[in-house]
Amino acid sequence: MNAINPAELRALIRPDRVHRSLYTDPAIFTLEMKNLFGRAWVYVGHDSLVPKPGDYLASRIGSEPVLLSRHTDGKVYVIYNRCSHRGAAVCNEERGNVKLFRCPYHGWTFAANGDLDAVSMRRGYGPDFDLNDPALNMGRVPRMEVYRGFVFASLSAEGPSLAEFLGHARESLDEIVDRAPDGELDLSGGVHKYVFRGNWKLQLENVVDMYHVPFSHESTISRSGRQFGRRPGEESASAISDKGAAADRWEQRVAWGAAQYGHSYAGHQPVAEGLPDDPVFKEYVAALEARHGKARTEEILVPRRHNTAFFPNMTLQALNYHVRVIIPLAVDRTEIHVYPVQFKGAPAAMNAGFVRHMNVTHSAASFIQTDDLECFRRCQEGIATQGSDWVWFARGTDTDREDEHGDFINKGTVETQQRAQHAAWLHFMSQPA
Amino acid sequence: MTEARFDRSAVEAFLIHEAALLDDREFEQWRDLFDEDGYYWVPLRPDQKSPEGESSLFYDDRKVMQTRIERLRHPRIHSQTPPHRTCHLIGNVAITEMDAAKSECTVRSSLMMADYRLRVQRNFAAKVTHRLRVVGDTFKIVWKRVDLINCDDAFELIAVPF
Repeated sequence: MNAINPAELRALIRPDRVHRSLYTDPAIFTLEMKNLFGRAWVYVGHDSLVPKPGDYLASRIGSEPVLLSRHTDGKVYVIYNRCSHRGAAVCNEERGNVKLFRCPYHGWTFAANGDLDAVSMRRGYGPDFDLNDPALNMGRVPRMEVYRGFVFASLSAEGPSLAEFLGHARESLDEIVDRAPDGELDLSGGVHKYVFRGNWKLQLENVVDMYHVPFSHESTISRSGRQFGRRPGEESASAISDKGAAADRWEQRVAWGAAQYGHSYAGHQPVAEGLPDDPVFKEYVAALEARHGKARTEEILVPRRHNTAFFPNMTLQALNYHVRVIIPLAVDRTEIHVYPVQFKGAPAAMNAGFVRHMNVTHSAASFIQTDDLECFRRCQEGIATQGSDWVWFARGTDTDREDEHGDFINKGTVETQQRAQHAAWLHFMSQPA
Repeated sequence: MTEARFDRSAVEAFLIHEAALLDDREFEQWRDLFDEDGYYWVPLRPDQKSPEGESSLFYDDRKVMQTRIERLRHPRIHSQTPPHRTCHLIGNVAITEMDAAKSECTVRSSLMMADYRLRVQRNFAAKVTHRLRVVGDTFKIVWKRVDLINCDDAFELIAVPF
């Protein structure tokens, strides 16, 4: 591969458009795995997926297969899924529980934190062979941190701390976790997986794109102009239209993009503000009030952020509560894992309703996600043509402004969020080694 | 319409009829095969115990089916422009349990389903379980469970039920 120099990379990003090679060039994809996924804080998994010692979850940091595991010390670790001996992948399963990781090839065993436990047939190694040599452990990634159950890791020993990296996007994590009466989320309600023939950024850009909804998702909108109910007990939901009062209200939602590091969110839909009025929800509110008191509970329940996109690979939704993980497989192939969120301490019926509605909105056979997948596939097909070198993100360039922290803020159906993503993309990609 | 009797050939004829409705995209008629309390379930995990509290690829009661079908009939459903064509093949049909008091039986079958859209053909294979109820002179589906052999795979978009 020819090195792509920073000046060449800078030429790919303009204030209102990006070059199509971001989506199609295998050399850029390879550089993304090294410079972007190799440097940023990447979401690896949630600690509720590995509740007990010995639990593990197979994950990836860019193209690097890793394991999120819980050791006997009660802490979680992120280690490479690679035997230190001859390199075989130690775990085949997506999730599991082990006393020790055992390599299938020659039977070396490792603790859940990656430390070498034993080599088989020890006598075959001489007395100088040091079993305490750290090089014989399954390698741990250079940095990892857990924030309120969300596990992030970085393949770079240098760089901003997780708190600095997340900046004010971190408040989206606080908002969703605070809605759990016990102050913890549970992501163990299964996982929806889908794959599409398109670049990973198509999904990242899409979750905070409020412009596409009346068009991509037209088939989910009834003749009365409302979308099907997206929460338990709802007959119908949001009025969605590109015209009239519905479109005007849609333009009132906040659009936010971080000045650094590419996070973004779309403010809450101006539709789902009404809180449900049913016994289960009342029980939930009572549980929150028991922990936080009335005033704080009211504050917690104010919907503010709809979708938050944590650059580069995780998104959080606060309508159909879920965590979405973006897994880049190739320049034109991406896998997505969607975990429904349940609130610890909330009524079981409420959590069951969350899980059930995710089947309808975000499974590979769902009503919402399938039309997005089709649009991603078509984008990849179109961008691959020579019809134009550019993909446009100009909406709202004239109205973007800075908030009190210096991040970018705007309203409605703008492309402020995607511009923040592309700026961070350039930041990581063009940093010298 | 099939004469609803608890014997293999009657049950098999019913399943063949169901497959034909899906292949012909007669989704409303397919929905009407389900009893009012009926549901259609495709788990995401082998040996998944229940559709409650855990994610599923499909978990449709009649109401969800109705929304699904309205969407399938929408002129601007991009994911079905053009639509998938399907071929459902049923085999190995066996009645595994009968409850004469309730007029219900459980039927196990094997399913191969191919779908095709935009130069991509996929092949799905599944163990299928139907709970059937005799209502009048026909069967109604109480529940249908489809255990895909690759249920925990990552899928490209799926539109037509198995």
